[in-house]
Amino acid sequence: MAILTFTLSEEGVTAFRDALNCLSKFSEDVSIEARKDSFFLSTMNTSKSAYASFRFATNRFFGRYQYQATGQFQDKFYCSMYIRGLISLFRSRSGVESRGDVDKQTIIDRCDIAIEDGEGVKSRFIARIIFRNGLTATHRLPFEVSMPVHAKFNRQEALYHWSISSRTLKQLVDHFGPGTEYLEVNTDGDHVNFTCFSEKTISDDAVLKKPLHTSISVETDEFDDIDVEDKLQIVVSIKDIRAITQHAAITGNAIAARYSLPARPMQLSYASDAISCEFLIMTVGERGGNPAQRTKKARKGASSSNNHIPPHLEATSRRTSAAPSQTSAEIQRQQSEMPPPASSRQPSNPTPRLSAAKASASRIGAFDFRPSQRPPPPTLRSESLFVDDEAWEPVRDEDEDGDENARLEWDHSADPVSDLVNCW
Amino acid sequence: MRFHSDLKNIRTFAKLTAAFSTLEKLVWLRLSDETAHFTVVPDTGSQIWSTLPMDFLFENCTIQSAEPSNTINLELSLQPLHRALKSAQGSISASLRLTKKKGVPVLSMTITTSTKSSSKFGNAPPAAAPLKPPSSYDDPFGDVDEDFQAAGAEHTHLETSLRREHEKIITQDIPIRVLHPDTVASTVQPSLQEPDVHIQLPPLLQLKSISDRFTKLALASGGSSSKSPRLEISANMHGGLRVRIATETADISSAWTDLDNPQLDPAQLRVPIEEHPSTKFRDRGPDSWASIYVDGKDWSRVLSAGRLEGRVIACFCHNQSLVLYVYIPHYDDGAADDAVLTYHVQAYSA
Repeated sequence: MAILTFTLSEEGVTAFRDALNCLSKFSEDVSIEARKDSFFLSTMNTSKSAYASFRFATNRFFGRYQYQATGQFQDKFYCSMYIRGLISLFRSRSGVESRGDVDKQTIIDRCDIAIEDGEGVKSRFIARIIFRNGLTATHRLPFEVSMPVHAKFNRQEALYHWSISSRTLKQLVDHFGPGTEYLEVNTDGDHVNFTCFSEKTISDDAVLKKPLHTSISVETDEFDDIDVEDKLQIVVSIKDIRAITQHAAITGNAIAARYSLPARPMQLSYASDAISCEFLIMTVGERGGNPAQRTKKARKGASSSNNHIPPHLEATSRRTSAAPSQTSAEIQRQQSEMPPPASSRQPSNPTPRLSAAKASASRIGAFDFRPSQRPPPPTLRSESLFVDDEAWEPVRDEDEDGDENARLEWDHSADPVSDLVNCW
Repeated sequence: MRFHSDLKNIRTFAKLTAAFSTLEKLVWLRLSDETAHFTVVPDTGSQIWSTLPMDFLFENCTIQSAEPSNTINLELSLQPLHRALKSAQGSISASLRLTKKKGVPVLSMTITTSTKSSSKFGNAPPAAAPLKPPSSYDDPFGDVDEDFQAAGAEHTHLETSLRREHEKIITQDIPIRVLHPDTVASTVQPSLQEPDVHIQLPPLLQLKSISDRFTKLALASGGSSSKSPRLEISANMHGGLRVRIATETADISSAWTDLDNPQLDPAQLRVPIEEHPSTKFRDRGPDSWASIYVDGKDWSRVLSAGRLEGRVIACFCHNQSLVLYVYIPHYDDGAADDAVLTYHVQAYSA
């Protein structure tokens, strides 16, 4: 029998797919958690350095939402699914993404979802997708009943916060080139600096393969509100930030960051009409010279628009101890491994990159470092603002990459025309 | 060694780097008081040689070098350069400076921009951008206000518009290698002959899509020689151009007519105009074709020059060489002289 049934409208399908797309940048699996009056999608990446969750307001987001408590799922239902399988349902023949020949008739009109489980019933996620043209497709996906892992965030501990328009933040992120791994946010008087860099060591003769090193200085006035310790350097994964800002910019609302010190999690949150989004990402970094000094600015009425987001999510399951929010025992252990923040500060050090490198070295020791932080493949290189016109791309076939990688060496090109037949 | 300059014609500069990077990952840039040379020489394939007047891309420029005639030779990776220039498009101002960061030489681009003008529609004249009053008609992000209101946030229009005018400083550090004059001495431009036929090419997007189709056709039809199909390109002095592909199973050609064979300037010629090879080709009539074979994929990369939106003159030496002159118009200054790129197309005899 169906434990959970709900309906997604046309816009609901799009919003659901956007959320899943965002989640898929963190992990392969998504956890679904449903109660009588709440619906969560969440995931944690394999290295447990990033956690993402989307809370849907059941009464506003879903056309119809019904939770039937049964058997083991008395107060809540939970399961885990393969994200790509789920995304592909909502993409089916809609042609929304492919700008090519958009057939309006195959746009999804609505989607009825039923989740069945229990004694003598196959565990299935059943999606009935009704297209504009009257076609109905029914998909049955298997799922695994497993308790979701939530990361906790201690709002009391997070002394520092800022919030900014998500579109402004995305425009900043768009300036960062491919091949970089880290984003450092530091405050300096009335400016906030966003610096994107790579830590990969590169031999001298490959110096031209280094990625673009980008740094953006933003006036604090640009923020809706900000309250951060001066000279605090906090470093996060640029890949996570890209995933978050890309989704946040769709909603267009302000995005709020809350954090404390390096090696403690940062919370990024924003909300749209019926969805609250929360991300916890692990940080590294350096503390500045004067912890008492703050970079501060408050805008009347602009802050605290996201305060309805729960201070921390559910107090979790068996894997909690490995999550970014460690138990007190873990914090103790980590503090013993990390140098105390006060002594690690290097006020005379003007090279954030160097210090960040040091910090992240210690991060690898203290924290299970994320293995998947490779630069995005070249195909993902162009982001929204930077779309090249494809028509001018040369014709090429798949196995040509070898030639493409050939490098120019001035020293060896004494006879640059040697392979031209009978020329000049 | 010092180099500092403000950037202008940023859109053109970005297009140039895009065209360069279809042929090679790296570019050799030689800066001097008067000229900027951009040279692209891949291991195999077509080469680009260009000499641009310094004021085509730069202004308020300072160069100091110990090298002869005050030149600076740099090798730089095109992808980061292109990316940085894209960042600078629509900015209020942008400048370039040769410097060292942590002991490593970089070309540091400093961009002053505002949130609004960094949008994709932000190609407004630089000076006007920050002063422009926000209006829901010309503001690409006019929908922002609506969204804010819909979400119940308490931003007033005034607040949002004020915030948009904040300037941001973006620094993009492009990795470079400073080249010694001895290193670059061995790279010399292929010599240029008096052409048998010179002709203005049809719109490059058209030429490219047909050429690409031929190349793909040859690739798809298989066979041992299909790894790199050769296209035959021919032109005459009577406005005719042909592109032809011949495989074991197919022989297709496309022809253009009524193209322009521009007049030569006798003052620029090494031989009297009546003895010039092109005069002889013209006299022999429309059946006299100068032909050359090109590699389909390389030709496709060359034709990416079309994104520069300039006139292209092709110079054929029958069975010997093909050189393209790509004229780059000034986007910011219509009255100024065009700059020219010289493409030495990798060519094969029959």
